[in-house]
Amino acid sequence: MAGRAQIPTKSSALIAMIADEDTVTGFLLAGVGNVDLRRKTNYLIVDSKTTVKAIEDAFKEFTTKEDIAIILISQYVANMIRFLVDSYNKPVPAILEIPSKDHPYDPAHDSVLSRVKYLFSAESVASGRR
Amino acid sequence: MEEEEEDRRTQIQSSDDGGGDTQNVEPNRVKVKDQHVLQFLDSMDEYLTQMDSLSTILRQGWLELASARHSMGASRVNGALLDLKIHSAPTSLRVSEDAVVDSEVEKAHFTLCKWASSENGKPGSGEGKFRGDNLRTKSGSPQLRNRSLSPFSENPEKTSPQNGAPLVVDDQVQKERSKSLSVFGTLVSPKLRTAQLSFETALEKLVEIANARSTMLRAFDQVREELEGT
Repeated sequence: MAGRAQIPTKSSALIAMIADEDTVTGFLLAGVGNVDLRRKTNYLIVDSKTTVKAIEDAFKEFTTKEDIAIILISQYVANMIRFLVDSYNKPVPAILEIPSKDHPYDPAHDSVLSRVKYLFSAESVASGRR
Repeated sequence: MEEEEEDRRTQIQSSDDGGGDTQNVEPNRVKVKDQHVLQFLDSMDEYLTQMDSLSTILRQGWLELASARHSMGASRVNGALLDLKIHSAPTSLRVSEDAVVDSEVEKAHFTLCKWASSENGKPGSGEGKFRGDNLRTKSGSPQLRNRSLSPFSENPEKTSPQNGAPLVVDDQVQKERSKSLSVFGTLVSPKLRTAQLSFETALEKLVEIANARSTMLRAFDQVREELEGT
C-alpha cells in the first residue's frame, strides 16, 4: 500500500500539472514552471482539442519521473483517465485532484477518498469483527 | 453482533473500575485503536477542509486572472506566451520522510521552497525556508478548524506585508516574481500581480493538502491493518 513503499528523499523536486489553461497559467505565475534540457515542460494544458491519449501519456510520464513530487490534476481531467488515476497508489509523486473553473471539486470522485471509503462501508467493519 | 459490542463495553468499563493487571492490556489496545481511528478521521477532515479553502483561493485567482485579461487584452494573457526556454522552476518542493516511532509505516512530508533563485542555486533559502518551517509546526499539532473561515483570514500574515518578520520579502523574491510576470510584458496589470499572489497562496495550501493526504493514508493503513489483525 501507499505507506509501505520506499519514499525517496529529495532536496528539490517539481510540481507537475495537468489542467486547464487558466489554472496552469496561474501556477506558472507562482513559479512552478520548468523546462528541461530536452525542452520538456512539467505541465500539460488541457483544452477541447487534447486527446485522452495525450493526457494518459502525460500522466504516465509525470508519475515515472523521479524529480516530480506532486502532480496537480484537474478533477474533470482525472475523470477522463479515472482507471489510471485510481490504480496509482505510490506516495510520491502524490496525485492531488483540484477543482477547475467550470467543474467544482467533488469529494465523491477523488481517488484518495474512494480508497479510504472502504473503512466506512458496513461490510468492511463487519468482516473486521469476525 | 450487538452482544459482542455490549461485552466489549462491559469489559472496558470493568477494567476502568480497577479490574486487575491482566485486563489492562485490552483497554490499552482499544485505546490505541481508537487513537488511530481518530487520527484517520481528523486527517480526513483536515484534507476536506483544506480542499474547501483551496477552491476559494483558486476561484479568487481565476477571477483576478480574468480581470487582468480584461484590462490587458486576451492576446497578452494566454497560454501561447508561456516561456518555453530552458529554465528551472524557482518554486520547488523538498520531500522528506517522516519516520513514525511506534510503527513501520512511513509517510512523505512536503516542504515548499518558494522563489529560490535559479541563478545562485540555493534552493531552500530565504522565504522558502520559512514557509517550510511554518508548515511543519502547523501540521505537527491537531487544531480546531472552522469551515466557515475564509482562507485569507486564516493566515493574515501571509497576505498583509505590514505584520513583521514572516512578511519580509527580500529583493530576490521580488526579482523572481517580476521575472515570472515578465512573460506577459514589462508593464502588467496590477490584477495579474494579485493573481500571482493568489496562486502562491494556493500553492501553499496544496502543500498542506499533500501533507494531510499523506497523514490520512498512513492512518488508513494503520486502521486497516488493525481491522485485518482482529
